Amino acid sequence: MTAGRLDIVRLIGKRVLQAILTALGASVLVWAMLSFAPGDPALRILQAQGRADPDPILIAQTRQALGLDRPLPVQYVQWLGHVVRGDLSISYRSGKPVLAELAKRLPATLYLLTTALVIAIIAAVIAALIAVATQGRWPDRLIRLLTQIGASVPSFLVGLLLLQYLVVGAKIGRVLSNGATELVLLPALCLAMLKAANWTQLLRANMLEALGANYALVARARGARKLRVLLRYVLPNAALPFLTALGVSIGALIGGAPIIEEIFTWPGVGHYVLDALSARDFPVVQGFVLLSGLSYVTASLVVDLVNMWVDPRIRQRRAS
Amino acid sequence: MSVTEILNLPHAARIEIAPEAAYGLWQRLWRHSEARIGLIAALLLLLLALGGPLALPYDPDLPDYAVALQPPSRAHWLGTDHTGRDVLARLMDGARRSLGASLLVLTSTFTIGLFVGVVAGMAGGALDNGLMRLVDILMTLPGMVLAIAMIGILGPGFQNLLLALIIADWAYYARLARSYVLTATQRSDAIAARLAGINWLRIMWGHILPGVMTQMAVIATLGLGGMITAISGFSFLGLGVQPPLAEWGSMLVDARFYFPIAPWLLLAPAGLIFASVLAANLIGNALRDVLDPGRD
Repeated sequence: MTAGRLDIVRLIGKRVLQAILTALGASVLVWAMLSFAPGDPALRILQAQGRADPDPILIAQTRQALGLDRPLPVQYVQWLGHVVRGDLSISYRSGKPVLAELAKRLPATLYLLTTALVIAIIAAVIAALIAVATQGRWPDRLIRLLTQIGASVPSFLVGLLLLQYLVVGAKIGRVLSNGATELVLLPALCLAMLKAANWTQLLRANMLEALGANYALVARARGARKLRVLLRYVLPNAALPFLTALGVSIGALIGGAPIIEEIFTWPGVGHYVLDALSARDFPVVQGFVLLSGLSYVTASLVVDLVNMWVDPRIRQRRAS
Repeated sequence: MSVTEILNLPHAARIEIAPEAAYGLWQRLWRHSEARIGLIAALLLLLLALGGPLALPYDPDLPDYAVALQPPSRAHWLGTDHTGRDVLARLMDGARRSLGASLLVLTSTFTIGLFVGVVAGMAGGALDNGLMRLVDILMTLPGMVLAIAMIGILGPGFQNLLLALIIADWAYYARLARSYVLTATQRSDAIAARLAGINWLRIMWGHILPGVMTQMAVIATLGLGGMITAISGFSFLGLGVQPPLAEWGSMLVDARFYFPIAPWLLLAPAGLIFASVLAANLIGNALRDVLDPGRD
């Protein structure tokens, strides 16, 4: 028993190590982004601070102050050291630390993302259950049609139309949301729709596969009701590959949030980074990318660990 | 759907395609009812993009304030915008940017990915290792976030947007091509050809590439919808096509403010974006069904 537990600990350790390596890879990418951007970074910073044509001495001073005259690996390690200590440099526009600016807006984004995630999961599970229970009949066909459409409407179009018809037209909610709790539903719905459609298709396919497996057949043969078979045997088995897809989709949710935040003027990090993009405020963009990368790596790690926890087969296969 | 997610769908990336599967593809695709809808829609959209601008007597970018915000009429089938430009003319002109750019980005990522993947898969060793580590690093960030990062470096603008999307996406295709190549080299016909002493270039060309390209084409078709969404989305945010040039996504920007009095300004480009993504998805799903009938 203890040997088995040790294996699991080693397995988890291996996965965590892998996540750290991935995060380091992402950090190289994020760092390279600023370092290899066209133009002299020192000049860029001075220009962004409002000096249109700074003199060469000032540029040289800035370069030295930023450590830009050192070899690239040294610069990376130096940069990483700052990042680990929470120093994500200073916004060109506001002159304030990027980390503080991002931290201020992060709760709104996390709130939006988790709401969207919950909506998408609940919708997908219910829709897939109905589709499988009524396979081939009209509810199944209707759900298939809806998921086809849902998978093809870009979320920002849903957002625009919801805003015009529901908010402006029917006066539900507010045009300018301030991140208030009750206003989260519309943007979360837009963000959730595409994922709900994809996941319904995925879960439906997985559940149909599980329904044909021996354990489902045996349960049916022993007289279990169809609903019980679906909930007790089919859904848990179908949920496993679904968990993997969930981990990957979190990246898409993070990437899709900015445009929805912009449309609904949701005061999150996505809205903030889009403004920074237009203003060419590099450190903010870099901070956002780093934050997204870390969240993505963490989310994948959590999903994998949950997967190991719920699926004894993975534990055994990997440990042996 | 992004390419990463497609790869994680069950069986999607693992489509088994026999060398003869592409035979009679068009006929079989045409018999697939959903594919037929998609193909007809795609054809209409292409006609709109290619032939449209020749057929209409209006300049898509030239304002005519005398006829601003007119509802659909015989002279202006889809009405006019707030500066009196013909909406249909702008949609047709914009189609070349929205659809053309999506196809361009997709072809580029496909070609770069195929090339890198095939080279890595065939060469093996240090080259394979180096290329795949680069791919690994690029894949640590979600595609859209990487695209935002690249726009941050390159600055806003249509060409930069396309370049950013190519940089953000090629790695997935490279990873995919490599794994397909590795599987294909283990197939019995490839092994037999190698044992018969045929040189590797001919094995590559005759036994490996055809199957690999078909498999990748399915994934690319499924990725086209995401590309159309990304390009129109970034243009909507002002990070792509710059005014006064027409593009479906950027047409939505002004349309928002006039929606209560002129809803057609928003509904027309939105409808076309939806139709394009739907057509691409229908064709992509059908391709997968037709090429891999054993699935499901």
